[in-house]
Amino acid sequence: MAIAESTAVLTSPEMTRRPRWPALRALARKKLALVALAYLLLFYAVGLAAPLVAPYDPNDQNIRAGETRQGPSSEHWLGTDSLGRDLLSRVIYSARTTVLFTIVVVVTGGFFLGLGLGLLAGYRGGWVDTAIMRVGEILGGLPTLILILAITAAFRTRITDLAYWFEDHTWVSFSEAKTFLKFTIIAGATVPFAWVGSARIVRSQALAIRELAYVTAAEAMGASTWRVIGRHILPGVMPLFIVGLSGSMAGMAGAEVSLSYLGLGIDPPAASFGSLISEAGFIRTFQQYPHLLLGAATPVVLFFYAWNLLGDALVDVLEPRLNLR
Amino acid sequence: MGPGLAGYILRRLLWAIPVLFIISVLVFVMLRMAPGDPAETILGNRFDEEQADVLRRKYGYDQPLTVQYANYMWNLAHLDLGVSVKYRDFTVTEVILPKLWVSSRLGILALLISFGLGIPVGVYAALARGTFLDPLTISSWLLLDAIPPYVLIPLVQWALVLKLKLFGLGWDGFLSANMILPVLVMGLPGVAGVARLMRASVIGVLNEDYIRTARAKGLREQTIIVSHITRNALLPMVTVIGLSLPGVAAGALFVETLFGIPGIGQLSLEAVQLPDFDVVLALILFGSASFVLANVVIDVAYAFIDPRVRVGGARG
Repeated sequence: MAIAESTAVLTSPEMTRRPRWPALRALARKKLALVALAYLLLFYAVGLAAPLVAPYDPNDQNIRAGETRQGPSSEHWLGTDSLGRDLLSRVIYSARTTVLFTIVVVVTGGFFLGLGLGLLAGYRGGWVDTAIMRVGEILGGLPTLILILAITAAFRTRITDLAYWFEDHTWVSFSEAKTFLKFTIIAGATVPFAWVGSARIVRSQALAIRELAYVTAAEAMGASTWRVIGRHILPGVMPLFIVGLSGSMAGMAGAEVSLSYLGLGIDPPAASFGSLISEAGFIRTFQQYPHLLLGAATPVVLFFYAWNLLGDALVDVLEPRLNLR
Repeated sequence: MGPGLAGYILRRLLWAIPVLFIISVLVFVMLRMAPGDPAETILGNRFDEEQADVLRRKYGYDQPLTVQYANYMWNLAHLDLGVSVKYRDFTVTEVILPKLWVSSRLGILALLISFGLGIPVGVYAALARGTFLDPLTISSWLLLDAIPPYVLIPLVQWALVLKLKLFGLGWDGFLSANMILPVLVMGLPGVAGVARLMRASVIGVLNEDYIRTARAKGLREQTIIVSHITRNALLPMVTVIGLSLPGVAAGALFVETLFGIPGIGQLSLEAVQLPDFDVVLALILFGSASFVLANVVIDVAYAFIDPRVRVGGARG
C-alpha cells in the first residue's frame, strides 16, 4: 500500500508540470486516433449545423409509387425510407439528436456532477466525501439498463398531458414539446448513472494532489478553496477525467440510440438513429432494402468506434501509470 | 481459510445489508410513485373506478407506502415476490426462475468466449507493443464492440442464416444449434474490453523486476510469457470477471429479444413496457443484490489471493 501511494504522489506533479504539447504531439503520432478525431469533429459539425447541411426537409414525405424506399441515387444519396423521406437528411438530423444528447449528458453528468462532485469529495474529504461516495456506491449498484427502461416507460405515459400544458402555457408547439419532453426524460434517466465513474476517477486524483507541497503552499498563502481547486487541483485531474469521459462517450450516446430503438426515446417524426435502425432492421426489410439499415447504421457505428479509438489512444497518451515507465 | 478470512467475509456481508436496504427503499418508492398502477394495467380499456378500487384493495395498493413496503419486505423474507400482472396464474418467482436459468447459461457461455479470447488477445497485443500489430489487433476488436447488437444481429442473421443457411432461427430449447449464433453475438463484442484491460495489465507486469530476473536466469521466453507474465497479469482480471457476473443474471436484452430467447432480458423489456410492477421490482432488486454480492465476492477473492488485504481491511 505504502509503495503504491508513494508512486501516485511521485507521478502526479510530473503530470501537472509537463506542458500540454507533448501529450498532443503523442496523440498526433497515433494516426488512427487522428482519423477518429477528425470524424468526430465532422459528426459534431454536421449535427450542429443540420438545418444548413441537410439537402431536404427530414419530414418531407413522398408516398407516391416509386418514391419510397428508393436505392441511393444522385438526388437521394442514401435513398429514401418507407415514407419517401430523404434518408441522408434523416441521418443528419439523427446526428443532431445524438450530438445534443451527448452534449447535455457530458455537461450535466460529466462536468457538473462527475467533475464537480469528484473534486468536492476529493478535496473536502470528511463527511462530504463519505456522502458523495456512498450515493455513488448505491447508484453504481443498481442495474442501470432496466432501471432506465422503467423510468422512461413510466414517464412516457404522461408525455401527452404535459405537452398540452406546454402548448397552452408557452410558445412551444405540441409536437416540439413532445420531442423536448422525450429528450428530457431519456437525459434525466441517463444522467443520474453517468457521473459515478468519472467522479471516482476525479476523487482519487484530487486526493493524491491535495497532499502535495504546492497545494499546501497555496493554502498557507491564503488562497481560497475555489482558487486551490481551480488553479492547482483541476489541471492535475483533467487528463484522467478526459480519458474516462472519452472512454464512456460511446456508452452514453448508445443509451439514447438504444432507447429510441426500443421506442422509448426519440421517435418519429423526430429523427434518431435508434428509430431509423429499428425501422430498417427487420431481416426481411434488410433483405429487400439493405441501404436503409446500412445507411442509417454506418454513421453511428463509426461514431461509437471513433470514441472508442480516441479513448483507447488517450489512455496511452494521458495515463501516467502506463506512460512514465 | 484462517479465522481472519471468515471475519473479513462476515464484515463485508454485513456492510452489504444497509446498501441493499437503501436500494430497495429507493426502487420501491420510485416504482410506486411512478404514474399508473397495476389496477390500470390489468383493466386496460375496461377501466372503471369501482373495479379498480377492488383490485387496489386486493393488492394492497390502497395502503400507505410504508405499510406496502413493510408488507413487500415481509413477503420477500418468505420468498414471495408478488404476482405477475401479465402471467396472472403465476407468481413472480415462477415467472423469473426458468428465464434466469436460460439467461445465466447464455451469459456464462458468452463470458467464456469474451475472456477465453480476450485474455490471449490482450497478451498478444501487449507483447507486440511498438509494432503496428498491437493497435491493429485492439482496434479491430474495438470495431466489433462498436456495433450495437440490434445492428449486428440483422446483418449476421441475413448472412449466416438466410444466405449461407449455417444456422436455424428461433427458440428450439437451450441445447440446440440455434443457440450458437446468439452466444457468439453476445460474447465476441466483449473481447475488446477484456483484451484492452489485459494488455494494460501485461504492460504493467513487463516492467517488473522479476521478469528481468526470469530473463537473466535464461528461462525460455515461452515459460516467461505463460507462467511469469500472464499469471501475474491475470490478478487484476479478478475484478473484471467478478463485475461481469451480475450482468450474466441480468440477461442480454437485445440478443434475447432479437433471437427470441425466453430469458431475463426479454422479460425485462416486456415487464417494463406493460408495466408488470412486481416483476420489474423483483428484477431490479435481484440485479442490485447480485451486484452487491459480486463486489463482496471480489473482495473476498482478493483477500484469499493476497493476505495483505485482510489485515487492515484496506482497499486502495
